[in-house]
Amino acid sequence: MSTNPETNRMEDALKNALRREEVPDGFAERVMARVAQQEAAPSGVRQASWSGFFSRPLLRWAAFATVTASVVAGTFHYRAVQREREQGEVAKQQLMLALRIAGSKLQLAKARVNEINQPQTDGQPSIKRSRSHS
Amino acid sequence: MPERHADHPRETAATDFADIVRRYQAMVFSIAQHFLADRSEAEELAQDVFLQLHAALSTLKSEEHVRFWLRKVTAHRCIDHQRRRKLPQVGLDEAPEPIARAQASDPFLAKRLRQYVASLPEKPRLVVILRYQEDMMPEDIAEVLAMPLATVKSHLQRSLAMLREKVTRTMGEVAI
Repeated sequence: MSTNPETNRMEDALKNALRREEVPDGFAERVMARVAQQEAAPSGVRQASWSGFFSRPLLRWAAFATVTASVVAGTFHYRAVQREREQGEVAKQQLMLALRIAGSKLQLAKARVNEINQPQTDGQPSIKRSRSHS
Repeated sequence: MPERHADHPRETAATDFADIVRRYQAMVFSIAQHFLADRSEAEELAQDVFLQLHAALSTLKSEEHVRFWLRKVTAHRCIDHQRRRKLPQVGLDEAPEPIARAQASDPFLAKRLRQYVASLPEKPRLVVILRYQEDMMPEDIAEVLAMPLATVKSHLQRSLAMLREKVTRTMGEVAI
């Protein structure tokens, strides 16, 4: 890789140091034993069946369609609930306004009644005076 | 891999898989051993790689593909393993005083170099191992490690300079 003699010597030393090593005795047998163990394990079978389930294109598309439909339906439902809530809020504000108006009218009427029932200093009921005023 | 396996990988018998294991066990084990500097951990990691290969064998189309896959998965597993545990780093202070000039084939120098390689940061360490153990070209290393070619070359240059400095400091003016 390099024409520099020092670099070449370093590379040679690294190649020598990093030569492939002997694997521990019985390595391949231990790997094969683990492979056999994994294939025999019930959990492995379960995993394989699940992965097999999702590896079928039709089922994969069906699962995808179900999830998509659920998301769309959920979104519509959420928006409907939001709309109902907004309408309820508007109705509540209208009711409050009506109650405030009714309350003020009631106060006005009460004041008028009090005014009528209040005795005059000359002994005449105030209604006559009010009539004469009008 | 024999040609009959390439067409029908699913039908690969256990004995054929054992042949694949024997063919590549030194490569996988040595990458892990040089990276981890621990034989028992390297064996465990190498076994896991072959178990994963057994599960993925049907997706591999050729001998070249199997070798590429093994190098890639071993490299990634090495990095994952490294991140789960902290490797003891070899400090320069632990190294012995300078001795006689060393040769490239000196077993003492080789042992020191292996220690220094094992103390490199994880990505440069893998690059050095794939370059000098597997004799891979930087372009191939970049593909296996999914890394830009310029980064691979930079890792190689910096690692070589770092290793040379460490060797020089600990072993004196060596002949490398």
